[in-house]
Amino acid sequence: MKNKAGIIGIIITVIILIIVVILSNISTGNLSFMQSAVGTIVTPIQNGIIFLKNKIAGNEQELNDIATLRDENNKLKEENSKLQEQVRELEILKSENNTLKEYVNLKDKYSNYTTVPAYVIQRSISNYDKIIIINVGSDDGIEVNMPVISESGLVGHIISVTNNTAKVQTIIDTASSVSANISNVQESVVLRGTLNNTNTLKATYIPTDSTILQGDSVVTSGLGGIYPKGILIGNVKSVINTKNQSDRYAEIEVSTDFSNLETVLVITEK
Amino acid sequence: MRKAKVILILIILFCIIYFLQTNFFSWFNIGGIMPNLFVILVLFIGLFVGNKVGGILGIIFGIVLDLTIGHYVGVSSVFLALIGLLGEYFDKNFSKDSRATIIIMSAGSTVIYELGIYVSKILIMGVNAEFLTFTLTVLVEILFNVLLIIIIYPLMKKLGYYIEDAFKGKKILTRYF
Repeated sequence: MKNKAGIIGIIITVIILIIVVILSNISTGNLSFMQSAVGTIVTPIQNGIIFLKNKIAGNEQELNDIATLRDENNKLKEENSKLQEQVRELEILKSENNTLKEYVNLKDKYSNYTTVPAYVIQRSISNYDKIIIINVGSDDGIEVNMPVISESGLVGHIISVTNNTAKVQTIIDTASSVSANISNVQESVVLRGTLNNTNTLKATYIPTDSTILQGDSVVTSGLGGIYPKGILIGNVKSVINTKNQSDRYAEIEVSTDFSNLETVLVITEK
Repeated sequence: MRKAKVILILIILFCIIYFLQTNFFSWFNIGGIMPNLFVILVLFIGLFVGNKVGGILGIIFGIVLDLTIGHYVGVSSVFLALIGLLGEYFDKNFSKDSRATIIIMSAGSTVIYELGIYVSKILIMGVNAEFLTFTLTVLVEILFNVLLIIIIYPLMKKLGYYIEDAFKGKKILTRYF
């Protein structure tokens, strides 16, 4: 066992010796990569030693400069945080201003109706329902079946109310159906929400003799007793013709952006 | 005391999931499709606690969901309770130590729950049946649920056995001997 260890020791020593011999016989020009590697390690240490030497030697000027810079840095940091705070305050004011502007625009647009403004506070948790919760309830005079609108058009109607909140079934919900008029069509059509698209409605019961064009505007017909007449719903996106003319339907692109809906108005008196 | 603590943990979990579903997943979604963590939670309760607690909590959670954001009270509770009851059936017949089994169970539960809710909606509210779109939506939802289970599985297992211990005590697998 001892012999084995001895032999290994000898072999290692021989290898080290050979390496030393080879390295000592190579000219320094061929070792530039090693020099740079050693330099990379040594230079920062050297710099550190020189810095310490200067410091110990009483290089007061340098120390004073550092202290001044530190003070200046602290002052700038303080100033920066104050500015950041101001920016945040301005952002809040800007957002409040936008919301108030939205309310004013909405109020002006639907001045014929008595309305209550509200915020959307919660959205549906399911992929198959399109229900929203708003922050006004029976305490604010909200009742079931009151229509809800946004700046861009119809949103839906109230399906249940608590003291401070109300549940709104939007027109894009698959269980929703709205009676509507397409600009060139005398008779009313029925709009229903679809599962596959949250921005389009399916218009059915289109009269066979009527001509519907892409881009025609669609408004509420006033039938059904929930929605008042003339509220914008959207525009005709496409007309899908079927073999049976009475089965044809149109896709209506809603004017309200439901994914970014934040402020709404509840019509309390039509 | 320990059981009460576990029930409290489950209620807190429900609140966290409710917050995630109503806020976080409204923007963190796959093409507008959200996962359904309530199904996973109730299945988890059924698996580790048993069908009684799973069923009861399924009914309670379902009522809360229907009251806050549903169309009709009772629909979600019926199907969540069913998932809770199924949990114990799965526990008796399959191993919950395998990640793959848990994934298959949750996929099956998601299909049962969503199909039940959708068919109820068609029957009660007269909604147009769009089964192709529904199938695609459920498939994406299952994928989302599966990805989430892969991430939370170690935590699920650890908490699950803690809860199981509180309700059933240390289990000796006598059926294998």
